[in-house]
Amino acid sequence: MKITQREVGSALILDLNGKLTGGPDADLFRETFKTLMDQGRRNFIINLEKVTWINSTGLGILISNYANVRKDGGDLVVMRASERIESILYVTKLNLLFKTFENEEDAVKSFTQSAR
Amino acid sequence: MGKKNSVEKMILNIPSDLKFLGAVDAAIQDLAREFLFSQDAINDVSTALIEACSNAIEHGNRFSPDKRVVVTLTFNGDAFYASVKDEGPGFDFSNALVEDTSPPELMSERGRGIMIMRAFTDSLAWRYADGGLYVELSKLRRGDASGEPSE
Repeated sequence: MKITQREVGSALILDLNGKLTGGPDADLFRETFKTLMDQGRRNFIINLEKVTWINSTGLGILISNYANVRKDGGDLVVMRASERIESILYVTKLNLLFKTFENEEDAVKSFTQSAR
Repeated sequence: MGKKNSVEKMILNIPSDLKFLGAVDAAIQDLAREFLFSQDAINDVSTALIEACSNAIEHGNRFSPDKRVVVTLTFNGDAFYASVKDEGPGFDFSNALVEDTSPPELMSERGRGIMIMRAFTDSLAWRYADGGLYVELSKLRRGDASGEPSE
């Protein structure tokens, strides 16, 4: 899996590309996230547009990252999930936990609005 | 032309490495399409099977290079059946399901594998035999690939 970062407004967008499963991909995502949090980042948008699949271990990492960032007063939202991944979030009820957005503009706006 | 009225079986014997999940996905995608499963049904089957194989590699075989995962795919005109067998010590599925949606449980990092396999298939079963755990799942074919009902 590849992860690229870009800053938009007050949020950091992580563009994930590949499969979000366990093993080295999971380690990369976990370590990248931890490094960014150590650098003081707190507002994250996870772009799932190019994530082909996700399994329960991948969901576990998303939850772990979400829990860490919420504990420190930040937030993690998800955008552009494919229909396939949306349905996984739905059946695991994680759509009740993560805010999900269809486009980047709305995802970025959610941080602006919550800062007011 | 699809093979709606025939039966085909494929056996994949993969190492305990998550990078081989792509081969499982490709096999499912190709076979299911030949048997005129709709794309939604193919994705459901693939999602459930990838979950089963991930569990076998990660929790069953614990990524051991000496252990294999055997995936058996069977298609016929009406349904798709799969079994995934690992070489692990077994796993108590009954204690591994997060169904509570209250905030503490929702934040649990584990327990969603069975939920995923159950949601995307029509049947799910598991048994310990021959030195490993078998996870068996099925998906009925509903309608044609065109999305039109078959009746």
